[in-house]
Amino acid sequence: MKKVLCIVAVFSLLGLVFGGMPAAAEKEYINGIDANFPPFAFVDKSGKASGFDIDAVDWIAKEMGFKVKHQPMDWDGIIPNLVAKKIDFIASGMSITAERAKKVNFTIPYWEIKQVFVAKKDSKYSVQYILTEKMTLGVQRGTSEAEWLKDNAPKKGWNFILKYYDSAPMAVEDVVNGRIAAAAMDDAPAEDAVKKKPVKILGTFGMKEENFGYAVRKEDTELLNNLNEGLKKLMASPYWQELINKYLKK
Amino acid sequence: MKWGRLPVFLLLKGNARSPMPESLTVLIEALPYLLQGAMVTAAAVVGAMGLGLIVGVHMAVGQVYGKPYIRRFVNVYVWFFRGVPILVLLFLFYFGLFSLLDLNLSAFTSVILVLGMTTAAYQSQIFRGAMESLPQGQLKAARALGMSDFKAITTIILPQALRLSIPGWSNEYAIILKDSALAFVLGTPEIMARTHFVASRTYQHLTLYVAAGVLYFILTWLGVKGLRKLEQRVRIPGYSHAGWTK
Repeated sequence: MKKVLCIVAVFSLLGLVFGGMPAAAEKEYINGIDANFPPFAFVDKSGKASGFDIDAVDWIAKEMGFKVKHQPMDWDGIIPNLVAKKIDFIASGMSITAERAKKVNFTIPYWEIKQVFVAKKDSKYSVQYILTEKMTLGVQRGTSEAEWLKDNAPKKGWNFILKYYDSAPMAVEDVVNGRIAAAAMDDAPAEDAVKKKPVKILGTFGMKEENFGYAVRKEDTELLNNLNEGLKKLMASPYWQELINKYLKK
Repeated sequence: MKWGRLPVFLLLKGNARSPMPESLTVLIEALPYLLQGAMVTAAAVVGAMGLGLIVGVHMAVGQVYGKPYIRRFVNVYVWFFRGVPILVLLFLFYFGLFSLLDLNLSAFTSVILVLGMTTAAYQSQIFRGAMESLPQGQLKAARALGMSDFKAITTIILPQALRLSIPGWSNEYAIILKDSALAFVLGTPEIMARTHFVASRTYQHLTLYVAAGVLYFILTWLGVKGLRKLEQRVRIPGYSHAGWTK
């Protein structure tokens, strides 16, 4: 009797494990987001994914007739997750870079972003001083600004020390704590930080403007076309301005 | 040190707009969300520990009483899973093996499987140590009475060994509980991940991480306490050291 019970228990456990797999019949795409990236992607008070990119994708999904689920992920592993088909696309304030374009396809650009330094409110340093005077600079790992700062420092004779963080808000936290002189990040999340912490935006540091786009697997042309068409429709509709006012207006 | 930098003060500092400190408002709002994360963590740990128990007991028996090839297999298994960091294993299985085999496992399931297989390696050694601490004479006596090896192991050795294993097993529980925080690299929304999300939105890192620490503490305490109760409940009278020094 005990044995039978044991077998039943094991099978019900297996059923639990495998039963959780999604049925393939319904066309539902999974959007991988970095939920540590307000105002583009974050988790709201009730624990739901929210933000500029989330609302935009929801609108596009409705317009183009597919279902979408937003899945918070570690930013570091987000492209491997996409390539391994754990998620279907990334709409989470991702800058279009040549490096990334080797692995994924990007939609049309939808938002231009500048990279800025964020420093303590009472900081007396200038951008130039921080770059050249052996100051410590914080940056989120796996971002285009991290890559750019690392590549350009030897070329331009900068000798700052780069410190890597899991997310931009953590770097800002360390700016406030006084461990680093400044944090390099996108301007929109920087504005968000200024609203919530005693920090200020020092200014740009010479990195070219970048564009955000949604990333899709190379072979997934159908989804890419869908997203592109949806984005075009969205950007032509009045809802686009509404979204900008809601999330990105200073 | 300036007084304003004291952590306790930071936790409770209000502002001019509202009498309640912002950190507390944020914490109260975030609590249900974090508690859901605690449920995810608890489910992952219970699943992993259960899987580890089933696999671990079999491997321990195999390693002690098994044929040479079984012993060799268990040795290699234990050597592999104890030697490779859990973070690496998570990536290796989730992006590597499971994808290669075309197993469409969810992140949560993968976390249970990887943590379970890892803890199985450690647990097997807990059980093996307990089994080997039992006098060999018990098996000899069982055989002299005409019992089969299988029966002797399942009815004489294991009931004693499993009792002896509970303290070591509760250690393993506490360790796996905290290792489960690594699950976020696969996108499982457990305690740490959720704490991180809320902190990014609200910039109340200190308060929220204290809350996360308390949640882990409660989960550890509950599990260890429960296992201690179990240990006392299944104790064989006259067989333990309890009450010896009265």
